[in-house]
Amino acid sequence: MLSVKNLHATVEGKEILRGINLEVKAGEVHAIMGPNGSGKSTLASVLAGNEKFTVTEGSVEFLGHDLLSMSIEDRARLGLFLGFQYPVEIPGVTMANFMKLAVNEHRKYRGEEPLSAAEFLRLMKEKSAVVELSSKLTARAVNEGFSGGEKKKNEIFQMAMLDPKLAILDETDSGLDIDALRIVATGVTKLHTSENATVVITHYQRLLDYIVPDVVHVLYKGRIIYTGDKTLALKLEKEGYDWLINEYDK
Amino acid sequence: MERIYEILGTFRKAGPEQLRVDAPVPTPYAAVDPEHLHVTLTAGAAAHLVVLHTTEGTSELTVELAEGAQLELTELFTAGTFSEMTVHQAARSCCRMTTVLLSGANASYRIDLAGAAAENNLGGVFLLGGQEHGVVKLHTNHLVADCRSDSTVKGVAGGEATGEFSGLVYVAQDAQRTDARQQSRNVLLSERARIETMPQLEIYADDVKCSHGATVGQMDADAILYMRQRGLSEAQARRLQIEGFVGDVVRRCGAEPLGEAVLALAAEKLERI
Amino acid sequence: MAENEKEILETLGEREYKYGFTSAIETETIGKGLSEEVVRLISAKKGEPSWMTERRVAAYRHWLTLEPPTWAHLHIPEINFQDIIYYAAPKGRKKLDSMDEVDPELKRTFDKLGIPLEEQMALAGVAVDAVMDSVSVKTTFKETLAEKGIIFCSISEALRDHPDLVRKYLGSVVPYTDNFYAALNAAVFSDGSFCYIPKGVRCPMELSTYFRINAAGTGQFERTLIVADEGAYVSYLEGCTAPQRDENQLHAAVVEIVVERDAEVKYSTVQNWYPGDKEGRGGIYNFVTKRGLCRENARLSWTQVETGSAITWKYPSCVLAGDNSVGEFYSVAMTNNFQQADTGTKMIHVGRNTRSRIVSKGISAGRSENSYRGLVRVAKGAENARNYSQCDSLLIGDRCGAHTFPVIDCRNRTAVVEHEATTSKISDDQLFYCNQRGLSTEDAVGLIVNGYAREVLAKLPMEFAVEAQKLLALQLEGTVG
Repeated sequence: MLSVKNLHATVEGKEILRGINLEVKAGEVHAIMGPNGSGKSTLASVLAGNEKFTVTEGSVEFLGHDLLSMSIEDRARLGLFLGFQYPVEIPGVTMANFMKLAVNEHRKYRGEEPLSAAEFLRLMKEKSAVVELSSKLTARAVNEGFSGGEKKKNEIFQMAMLDPKLAILDETDSGLDIDALRIVATGVTKLHTSENATVVITHYQRLLDYIVPDVVHVLYKGRIIYTGDKTLALKLEKEGYDWLINEYDK
Repeated sequence: MERIYEILGTFRKAGPEQLRVDAPVPTPYAAVDPEHLHVTLTAGAAAHLVVLHTTEGTSELTVELAEGAQLELTELFTAGTFSEMTVHQAARSCCRMTTVLLSGANASYRIDLAGAAAENNLGGVFLLGGQEHGVVKLHTNHLVADCRSDSTVKGVAGGEATGEFSGLVYVAQDAQRTDARQQSRNVLLSERARIETMPQLEIYADDVKCSHGATVGQMDADAILYMRQRGLSEAQARRLQIEGFVGDVVRRCGAEPLGEAVLALAAEKLERI
Repeated sequence: MAENEKEILETLGEREYKYGFTSAIETETIGKGLSEEVVRLISAKKGEPSWMTERRVAAYRHWLTLEPPTWAHLHIPEINFQDIIYYAAPKGRKKLDSMDEVDPELKRTFDKLGIPLEEQMALAGVAVDAVMDSVSVKTTFKETLAEKGIIFCSISEALRDHPDLVRKYLGSVVPYTDNFYAALNAAVFSDGSFCYIPKGVRCPMELSTYFRINAAGTGQFERTLIVADEGAYVSYLEGCTAPQRDENQLHAAVVEIVVERDAEVKYSTVQNWYPGDKEGRGGIYNFVTKRGLCRENARLSWTQVETGSAITWKYPSCVLAGDNSVGEFYSVAMTNNFQQADTGTKMIHVGRNTRSRIVSKGISAGRSENSYRGLVRVAKGAENARNYSQCDSLLIGDRCGAHTFPVIDCRNRTAVVEHEATTSKISDDQLFYCNQRGLSTEDAVGLIVNGYAREVLAKLPMEFAVEAQKLLALQLEGTVG
């Protein structure tokens, strides 16, 4: 589904990604871990198309498309979803209005008819149950005045609405109390099928108690320095990154 | 626009020269392109008045609110009208005003809070594009003690348009316990647009709560990125964002479904900016 | 008496003679009024080069076409410009023989400010030569500066010793066409300070006119020119912190600052001219034009504490011409009795990524009028310009006025400009609380006002800040209770 080859990216002249290689297949859950500043969020941003970053080398193929040549919105419409670490507040724009446009843009891209108002409302109701998102929140402006936990739930709610092929969740667990974490993680698990894939970016093991990864990667200094199965996360939790980093820095 | 005429058609006609309201239960009135209109609400009366400006001419409105009167006043400009409005408010009267400029009009307001505990609330928006030059002037005079005023004027200028806001809150010497707020929020959409804002305070009483603020900026780029990640095109994201910016003011025109109709008209205008 | 003054006096005497005037005629008939002849005469008396004379004349001719500005929120009694003495010999003040001759109220003020006796004498105009070794102070100071190549002297000296520098920069930031008072100043300026910091030099001490003995009594049309060359730094203190008494009614000074690439200038003022009496009689009209020009990466910071003058009309401004340049304006303006102040700043953003910050704290008491007036202009090319303005007013008593007149003119869509203003008063609760803890009402007010102005006072050099606080307290006397 996703094939990243030798990806290099810079921000303000500084190289953050220094040769990433990553293969994600349908039905898989990948976890990307690593210490702060290793480039995890940059990888997510670059895949989503954030123009702050410049790709200097490498290629990314997503569902047979050259991802890097596509606009942010076309990547999204093709089925790439980024759950933001810091979801943005958009004053005055209601969730309903925003989501209706987004859903219908996705449908248009796939050559489908737009949803009627009734169909849309039904979808909203159905999907908000996935993450126990209060209908009061969906009536408000996007993320405005939402608590940290509500913002993250809202990300997963939007993921449910847009039904992506590949979801990249950037530190979705940060700032969540244990209940919110459970709700968010359960939501993600519910949405996972053999048709889609999930990449979870985190630096805590605790999210992986709920979302069980097939593959765990360790990102350090802009490269994936180690790849293992789900037991790797447990080992990292117990022993930290030092044993890997020391090995690598040698 | 048809939709707006349709809605206004269901309202009572105000004028052409006079509107006098005695009823305490609010009734909606409409005036289209009034040249001179004098509106009086007697003590305790309530009304909702919508004024539509569609010509280049001049318009002069005088509004007089007796004690305890309540007026909901909505003004919509779709042409370069030159309009002047004075609102005189007696004790405990309340005037809630909404003004929407979808054209390079020149709208000035003078609000005299002349009776204790009078209250004025104004929300204004201008959406300008092309070579339009829109002006909103707002002088709020707190002449006596214990009055409240709260104004927010939001401006959007694209193309080669110029948007101008000139506000003044005047607090007379004995107008103690005045509570006055004035905000001017503006967004520039293009390289050649221009915003000029002058929010002013002139205060002669010491026991007052007065504040004003003004900003000129651009829309939040991170929000655009966020919306695009959810599949909206850049243009859609921008329009949504601007609608969000001005929507709260535009939508507040009382008497539904007028608010939504004006918003739709504003959205149409945004397409052209 | 400084040697320079003697020199000037001597040369002037010769010139007078050359032009066919006797001293007696000079003091009596040239004294009042303004004409092209007077302008030429001033220039001649100062022995200026001919280009300077012509500039003065051009300024005078332009001034004739102008009217005094009326847009400020001020009631300015009509000024008879023909009733003013435009040239007095550099020695403007009467020398007193001992401290006993000093106005007792002035003495009381000095004591309150805690100014050492020697300084008091100097400030009050008592002959100090015997008491304080002022010449040696000055000499040490000048030596240190000279080592670094820093020029710090009067404008007259600069015209004589560094004519090329003066010619290059004088009028480059505030041209005589700028406004009525700037034109007047350009025509008749008496003297002032010139300061040049060479490339890459950090001025090791705060420069103050206080150290330039001959700065005393430069009169009503002062001209200051500061040039910080590339990468240079200087902190400049204007005026004295003590309340100088001056009988001149009209002060129309001009301050020009050129901040070249990567340079930084801090300009601090504590203005405490005579404000008039409690009934509003007398006092100085302080009509000042101050402006700085910032080149690439340059930084200019204005800090002012304005407590004096009957009328203040003053807008220290920054033209942010160079990319990444920064302008700052920190102001406390306090008015009491019948004082009027209309003061603020202009931030003109021309270069990319230019930033400016405005913090203005107005305090009005008595029957005074205190206005903030500001302009933030973002030109078309000023990509990513940023401005933040905070303008607060504090009212003490219900017979004063506090006004805020900001203008934002933005022509670049990537710019962000923010302005906020609030108005407050000292609450009875605050006073009660302080009284309950044993503070007198007067002390409590002083404390609250100082807290209110802290953000600005903190920008002043330490010693200046302490005196500014005391001045505020002094000015607050009798405002409450």
